[in-house]
Amino acid sequence: MIEARDLRKEYGDFVAVEGSTFSVDRGEVFGVIGPNGAGKTTTLKMLSGLLEPTSGDVSVAGYDVTDTEMRQQLGFLPEESPLYEEMTPLSYLRFFADLYDVPTDVATERMHDTLDELELEHRERKLGDMSKGMKRKVAIARSLINDPDVLVYDEPASGLDPLTTNYVIQFTEQLAREGKTIVFSAHNLYHVETICDRVAIMNEGQIVARGDLEALQDEYGDREYHVYTTVEVPGAVAENGNWRRVVETMDGVEDVRAAAAERGGEVIDIRTEESSLEEVFLNVAESETPGTRYVEEA
Amino acid sequence: MNPRKLLRIAKWEVTKNAGGVDKRTVAIMAVSVVAMVLVAGLAASSGASGLDSGLYRIGVDESSSYYAPASDDAAFVVQEPDPAAVERGDQELLFVGTQLASSPEDPKERAALGEFRTSVDRYNSRQMAREDNRTAAEPVSVTLVYLEQSGVSETIASDSGSDGDGDGGSAGGSSAGSGGDGGDGGSAGGSTDSDTGGLAGLGAGLTGGSTTGSPSDIQPPFPFESLVLAFLFIVPMNFVIQAYGSTMLSERLNRRGELLLVSPVSRFDIVAGKTMPYFLGAMGVVTAITLGLRFGGLTAGGGPIAVLAMLPIALLFLSATFCGAMFARSFKELTFVTVTVTVSLTSYAFVPAIFTDVTPIALISPLTVVVRDLQAQTVTASNFAFSTIPPTLTAVVLFGLGAGLYREEDMFTQRAIPLKVLDALSGRIKSNWSALKLSVLLIPLVLVAELVAIALIFPLQGLSTALTIPLILGAVVLIEEVAKSLHLYAGYTSGRYDRSLRTGVVVGTLSGVGFFLAEKVTLVAQLVNPGLREIQTSQVGLELLPSGVPIWLTVAVLLLLPLLLHVVTATVSSLGARRSRRSYLLALGTAMAIHFAYNYTVVIALGQ
Repeated sequence: MIEARDLRKEYGDFVAVEGSTFSVDRGEVFGVIGPNGAGKTTTLKMLSGLLEPTSGDVSVAGYDVTDTEMRQQLGFLPEESPLYEEMTPLSYLRFFADLYDVPTDVATERMHDTLDELELEHRERKLGDMSKGMKRKVAIARSLINDPDVLVYDEPASGLDPLTTNYVIQFTEQLAREGKTIVFSAHNLYHVETICDRVAIMNEGQIVARGDLEALQDEYGDREYHVYTTVEVPGAVAENGNWRRVVETMDGVEDVRAAAAERGGEVIDIRTEESSLEEVFLNVAESETPGTRYVEEA
Repeated sequence: MNPRKLLRIAKWEVTKNAGGVDKRTVAIMAVSVVAMVLVAGLAASSGASGLDSGLYRIGVDESSSYYAPASDDAAFVVQEPDPAAVERGDQELLFVGTQLASSPEDPKERAALGEFRTSVDRYNSRQMAREDNRTAAEPVSVTLVYLEQSGVSETIASDSGSDGDGDGGSAGGSSAGSGGDGGDGGSAGGSTDSDTGGLAGLGAGLTGGSTTGSPSDIQPPFPFESLVLAFLFIVPMNFVIQAYGSTMLSERLNRRGELLLVSPVSRFDIVAGKTMPYFLGAMGVVTAITLGLRFGGLTAGGGPIAVLAMLPIALLFLSATFCGAMFARSFKELTFVTVTVTVSLTSYAFVPAIFTDVTPIALISPLTVVVRDLQAQTVTASNFAFSTIPPTLTAVVLFGLGAGLYREEDMFTQRAIPLKVLDALSGRIKSNWSALKLSVLLIPLVLVAELVAIALIFPLQGLSTALTIPLILGAVVLIEEVAKSLHLYAGYTSGRYDRSLRTGVVVGTLSGVGFFLAEKVTLVAQLVNPGLREIQTSQVGLELLPSGVPIWLTVAVLLLLPLLLHVVTATVSSLGARRSRRSYLLALGTAMAIHFAYNYTVVIALGQ
């Protein structure tokens, strides 16, 4: 659905994005994470046709991003919600429906349905009089007014209170379940971990790691085995009448099992604990120099 | 460009802004506009004197010799003498016979008395003029004959006309200061141009061509009608650009325009769609004013020509404001930009139009065509083309430059205005050939900038011709050298041109050639206009060539030397620009010195 190959964006002497290559399949939710200034927003803007790459190619739904037809297939949600504050939600959505050639009756039904789902009241109130969360809901509704196949969401929950944030994330999950292809960027890695099928980790303008979450955890995360025994073994701590020893490899598990048997005991449980995406991200980000290390794709 | 989407954006631009203005404000604005049109129209139709019509009330009996002077002056309403009316404040002056029976105390009464004395003087002069014995009635008689001047040289010469000092010494002589045409003025039995310089030469058409009377009667005429008409048409433009600049800048603040850029419309659709309501609004107001003046009987003419001539002015105001709104980083900077646009474009359009009846130079402004059409004067096709094509092309170039910045990476950055100007230029550079293309594209801008400079400097000729010619030459040199080299500097700073010596020479040469070609095309177009030929030839020095000059020398002067000049100066600037800003400024100064020396030699030295 989305193909990006060797994207590069320069602002004068500054290289914002360099050598970004990735693809997103139909119906997939693809996360882009990284520290501030990593090039996430620039990448998303190149995907949406808002920024022209200095070099490289990007296509969405088979269209080159410079083709205005591509924009019919895409819904973009920028980090901020820059709305025309003199307008009401309904007039604002009608305006964009017009630009996207959505028939009036379809547009009317669609915007009311979406606003219903987003639980947005006060649809005739001026946007300038609305709270940030309400404006965000209008911005989300605008991104869906043309019923796009592809959604590019840049920090959709940025600056919102926890309740609204949770709502927006759940709504995005729902869109994913409906089969939308979503490229999603967020600072809150929990949200990414919750929603995304795959992620790309960016740092200093480059994708330094990419793949599905499991593969990334294998490569950059830590895996621990918590081995519970009936007798004390070296390095174990008492826990609920038993003993727990933490090891990092399967060989270590076997060593614990042997030590317990020597002491007349046995292993009663083994639990696996893996690193969160946040820990994976920190491991990647703290690596010495950025360089593209693809986990999943060649 | 997609007309359907353009219209949608235009429609929503109106709807969006309509939501931001309450009905009371709209009503106040509408009433203000109507009032302005009525007042200005009435003023234009009645002339300056109409403003004080019926201002004073005078009580004087029909048998009094003061009755006739009071009746003849529109400033006075003649009433039956009534002391009670004076007491009530219903009469400013009261005469019994020829005696002033009231004692003027308040300012209005004193002003009425002063005005009445002047009226009586004027009445007496008119009576004297009817006397058969002219010599007895007016020992000194002055006839002013206004002649249409045909060029700069005549106007300058008129400044040196001798002053009629009223001592009778020049009676019967002829010292009309109207330059080469002055001899024609002698037909009125000897004329003494009492105040030929400055205002005396203005507004001939308004006064019917000649005036005769005693020296005390002669007032410097003023082109009041031209001024009012020009003012009436230029004022709405200044209001429209305030709203337009504001809406264009607001797209940039807080990234409001970002979502339009990502929608399935081109940036040209967006710019055209957002501009259209303001353009149509401006033209609607202009059309309404024209129709109001014409069908209200306030002007003798006015029709499609006047409206069409306003089109380039509206476009020029909007395009300059659009560019400014693309460059400005805040409403504070936008205010500075719109004030600059207002002052410079009003100077360019308004000032020449005041002198519609005085000099063909007035035709540098389309507003002159408007005023001529409103005054039912003939406007030839070549006059129309000369006045309107340069500003139209300039507007197109300005819209093009601004549209070059209408993209995400330029709209929402906080770069300084000079850097944005460079961005706008560098965005148009694709290869070395772009140097030639940009020099050609910038020619309309150069032409209008030079016309603005001439419009601003021209009035100074009254002070010193020796000063104005170098000033005009200097302004022309500055404008042309900047136009030839600034895009080269932009190309170097953005990395579109490499900084090698070879590229420096190539793009400099191409820029010079492009400028030369475009300049010559515009020159040919200007020479087609017969009314302006003298101005144009004096600009290029054609008439300065001694008679009998071989054709090859003429060709060399007209083609090869200017080509060489532009190539050399553009290359000098280019070589400096490829190094650094400081080097560019030094090289630009050098190029300007070369250019100035060339122009000065052609215009001054060959002319002697």
